[in-house]
Amino acid sequence: MTPSRRAGALGLALVLPPLLLLVFLIVLPALTAVFDTLAPLEGGPPGLTLARYAQVLGARIIRADITFTILVTLASVAVVFCVSYPLALYLRFVQGRLPAVLAVLFTIPLFIPVVIASFAMITFLVNHGMLSTILYRLGVQRFPPLVYNATGIVITQVWANLPFAILILGAGLQAIDDALIDSARDVGAGPVRTFLAIILPLNAIPTMITLTLLFITILGSFTIPYLVGGNAPQMLGVTMTNYLTQYFRRTDAVTMAVIAFMIAAAVGAVYVASVSRRERVAL
Amino acid sequence: MRWVRWVKRKRRLAAAAGMVLAVLLVGIGTSGQAGAQGTVTLNLYISGDTNIFDLYTKAFLPAFTKRYPQFKTNFVGLLHGNGDDGVYDKILAAKRAGHTVDVDLWETEPGYVDEGIPEGLWVKLSASLVPNIVKVPVQTLEAAQYYGLPYRGSSVVIGYNSQFVKNPPQTFDELVAWIKANPGKFTYCDPNTGGSGQAFVTAAIYKFTGPDKFSGKAYDPNEEAAWAPGWKLLKDLQPAMYNNGFHPNGNVAVLQLLAQQNIWMASVWSDQGLDFYNRGQLPKTMKFEQITPPLIGDDSRVTVPAGSAHLEGALTLLNWLLTPEAQNMVINEVAGYPGIDWKYMPESVRARFKDVAKAFAPYPNPKYLADIKRLWHEQVVGGQ
Repeated sequence: MTPSRRAGALGLALVLPPLLLLVFLIVLPALTAVFDTLAPLEGGPPGLTLARYAQVLGARIIRADITFTILVTLASVAVVFCVSYPLALYLRFVQGRLPAVLAVLFTIPLFIPVVIASFAMITFLVNHGMLSTILYRLGVQRFPPLVYNATGIVITQVWANLPFAILILGAGLQAIDDALIDSARDVGAGPVRTFLAIILPLNAIPTMITLTLLFITILGSFTIPYLVGGNAPQMLGVTMTNYLTQYFRRTDAVTMAVIAFMIAAAVGAVYVASVSRRERVAL
Repeated sequence: MRWVRWVKRKRRLAAAAGMVLAVLLVGIGTSGQAGAQGTVTLNLYISGDTNIFDLYTKAFLPAFTKRYPQFKTNFVGLLHGNGDDGVYDKILAAKRAGHTVDVDLWETEPGYVDEGIPEGLWVKLSASLVPNIVKVPVQTLEAAQYYGLPYRGSSVVIGYNSQFVKNPPQTFDELVAWIKANPGKFTYCDPNTGGSGQAFVTAAIYKFTGPDKFSGKAYDPNEEAAWAPGWKLLKDLQPAMYNNGFHPNGNVAVLQLLAQQNIWMASVWSDQGLDFYNRGQLPKTMKFEQITPPLIGDDSRVTVPAGSAHLEGALTLLNWLLTPEAQNMVINEVAGYPGIDWKYMPESVRARFKDVAKAFAPYPNPKYLADIKRLWHEQVVGGQ
């Protein structure tokens, strides 16, 4: 065996366990599930059929849930991004004690189980809850409903996903060479120009990765929409669980799962493209 | 859930074979135990929530073993019914192998009992075996086909805050009128998340169809067309519900809304509501009442496997469960309804429960219930 072949065999042996895990616990079940949704209907004509998709997508309530899921996800991603980017910039470029303390504080939600965070949010935001009580004391009479609707889901998602976004964006920002920023300043670029011409483009790949991972995480979330969301429309995670465990309609649930998977896969393609581009850039 | 068991049945055959061996081995170990010291150990498998475990371990069993010192008890709690499937397998395996089983008393959901009747797994109860059974209303015994002892019950009732509600509705129609007249002050939980919500939804359906067609074993989705007026009624009520049509998740969440006085009235489980009230977690002015026609409810039953090695002890315990001593514990510990007819209960107890303790409506069968939950989401909260 040549050395290169031996290295290749060793490499294969090393990736084999996770590869097998991937194949048997993810790929095969997923393929079976996809096949189940396409299998011929009982008593219907033979051959694969899209009838289940037509049926699921034909139900107005499920279409409403899918639209709702995408909108809530996009809104959450947008808010997380708009809040986390300035914070990541602040932590990267400002020196001192306060940023150091904040950097620790921002990671706190990572260590709090999302169930507890959701209940905390409810107690905080609900009618007669802490926030409404404070506002009432300050003379605010009208209090908009902040939980059991899309607003509540977005607020809680932002809270839960902020540390993750700050960490990834911050890692990207750390990788930017100070020399580049200094030289931009030297030739007379202001902070805005430096940001637009240097920082934003150099941090583009971590940004894409953050956005896509946030999208996929929030799209597939269950606990937050289940606890903080309303009765209808619901996010797909909750809808699928209901169809599976409450309505005993497994195939409908699987069909919805495949639809959700396709949405996530489209976004995942962007992620894969970003990562492989980074690999090429790195080389 | 019955549905889950269909899926599990295939697995069960294989499990049963293994169980036969296990039972054989266990049987050898326990057979000599009874005679040795003159005491018999009864094995109790009880599925339920922690309040039911406390009812047994802190109230029933100490009192029973004090009264009958020849018995000891071995209590096995099955939280929320986890492990019920295994207990059924064990009993079935022992029966098929022709051996006794170390399950002397099993409290579980009716589905398992129904499934085991054709297999001859249970003791059919009668007054000669359990003398106190004559105090139990005949129709609740018939509902279990005499294969389980309905020793306690609970139902969904209307809870209201008498500080705000002076003349509580007495019928379902009056309740609907009250909700419309007091917008934002009533809600029921999402029927996916609790029986108290299912009760209100079912009441709206039963109003137009009656319960009989949907509570039996038959299932025909075409019959569900008759639910349409019920859906319309519920849909029309939506704007008058709390927070413009919000239904919280779970029985407890509704009680919390009552506690915070966000709402003045709701459908709640009798035992849970009274328990919260007794522990001071609801306003002092909270009251509970059953309406006409009544909301749904259910009895909890204990069943004796025919293969029990300690039949005499098991039946003694069943008989004792129907004594005033044990029945009072049901009321004091978990605020349940007694299994025996109310006329055998002391006057003071009857007075305390007079507003809630009435007959209750039967649950729809599991398949109809699943469809009710799905269609509620589609027709009541989801549609425009």
